[in-house]
Amino acid sequence: MYKKKVPLKKSDLIFGALFLIAGIAVYYRVEIALNYNWNWEKIPQFLYRFDDDSGKWVSNVLMWGLFNTIRLSIFGTLLAILLGTIMGICRSSKIVFLRLISGTYVETMRNLPPLVIIFIVYFFIGNHLLPYSSIGDALQGKDNFLVSLVTFCLAPPEHLTTFLSALFTLAIFEGAYITEIVRSGIQSINRGQWEAAHSLGMTKYQQMRYIILPQAFQRILPPLAGQFISLIKDSSIVSVISIPELSFRANELMTGTLLTMEIWITVTIMYLLLTLPCSLAIQKLEDRMAQGLR
Amino acid sequence: MSAKQFGDYIIRVDSIGKTFDNGVVALKNFSTNIRRSEVVVLIGPSGSGKSTFLRCLNGLEEIDTGSIIVDGILLDDNKKNRLEIRKEVGMVFQHFNLFPHLSVLKNITLAQMLVRKKSKGEAEDEAMQLLQKVNIAEKANVFPSQLSGGQQQRVAIARALAMKPKVMMFDEATSALDPEMIGEVLEVMKNLANEGMTMVVVTHEMGFAKEVSDWVIFMEDGMKVEEGTADHFFSDPKMDRTKLFLSQIL
Repeated sequence: MYKKKVPLKKSDLIFGALFLIAGIAVYYRVEIALNYNWNWEKIPQFLYRFDDDSGKWVSNVLMWGLFNTIRLSIFGTLLAILLGTIMGICRSSKIVFLRLISGTYVETMRNLPPLVIIFIVYFFIGNHLLPYSSIGDALQGKDNFLVSLVTFCLAPPEHLTTFLSALFTLAIFEGAYITEIVRSGIQSINRGQWEAAHSLGMTKYQQMRYIILPQAFQRILPPLAGQFISLIKDSSIVSVISIPELSFRANELMTGTLLTMEIWITVTIMYLLLTLPCSLAIQKLEDRMAQGLR
Repeated sequence: MSAKQFGDYIIRVDSIGKTFDNGVVALKNFSTNIRRSEVVVLIGPSGSGKSTFLRCLNGLEEIDTGSIIVDGILLDDNKKNRLEIRKEVGMVFQHFNLFPHLSVLKNITLAQMLVRKKSKGEAEDEAMQLLQKVNIAEKANVFPSQLSGGQQQRVAIARALAMKPKVMMFDEATSALDPEMIGEVLEVMKNLANEGMTMVVVTHEMGFAKEVSDWVIFMEDGMKVEEGTADHFFSDPKMDRTKLFLSQIL
């Protein structure tokens, strides 16, 4: 890639100096004025600790939280893409009824604070719908491959209902944004593509499935990946409904240990370790697409 | 072209009318019948309704009045009928409209497999034969973006032919091409005409019209102004409007 060397300007030096001063000020506040008693050596044990009983290193609360965040993000994104694709297709449909449903969905989700959505969806789905499905009950007590698989991918059976409702809540919330991404992707495809497929005798479904959606997804891959990052960040909202993901665990730990700064700085780094690689990958992806490589 | 034998009427268009949502009248009381193996060329100034007529024939646009019958099937609201007609009428577009995410070969095999329910092997055999016919077999595994305009249009023709259509429509198939590529596409179209394919062609290539067409229709403002055999039409036009148009473009 072509990169131009940028000469250092006078303004750069001024901004640099300002940054330096700000940095020193923060350092002063934290180290001297705050009089904070750093206790970093206590942190690693909350990631991994040595279990004396089994004689092995085992993960601890912060890592559990991280795993839950990853689970929520991956499965939440998959569900949200599924929902968003269906709604996105509805949104660009010719049928008024479908447009109305998907339009209402998107506008509602986008114009409400996430916290409100979390509570509404959680208390509706979590308390009134999922218990009847008794997914968790069916698994409980059985000790087989299925249970360990579910535990590994989602949550242990006894927490499954709560976890699933949090998952659905996130998916429904993020799905609205993905709906708009998918809609814009579908609508960005040249009309000629529909017409060519039409004149070859393909049905509406075939046109969408084989011609439009593959091209649309190719185009919307970067914004979709961006939405994945959003979901990693937004997954911290479900801590309010007691899903033990990273932020919830950190908060819990902070109350117990009072290691406020250490814990939240650790958590910050953990989130960045998740999101930054994704972010860089997206930039690579966008560069490649800009160059028109396939 | 006098030796050519025509069959019965494969397309019957009876006084169709079409007005777009924005109020533009594209077709007014337009009627024409096209026989099997006939090559009909539509000419006329832009906005005269030529392309709209083609698009109505395969249901890309809805007609407001009149009726269209293709190979005995009435083009009405019946979904099955409409699908049947789309299968029988192939269309080649000005901007090729190849599927950019599929290789040349897949562009040609996809609809065969989905619509004609052919196996992959059959579809690929058919595709390779057609690619040979349009002289581009060596590009089978290339993506459309790597082809020149003329090559893309020839692939588009092969793609339409793969459906074994009874009628082929060409909507200004050479208008978006560089001059040196027009020849190769016209060549393919000429061969097709000589094989007895029924063709409806919208074009500005008067040389092609003169040489290949059996019937020429001159349109303006959505109406038929004049029609006749190519010989008649070009050497001895009756209407002043036709004369003016021909003098402008010849």
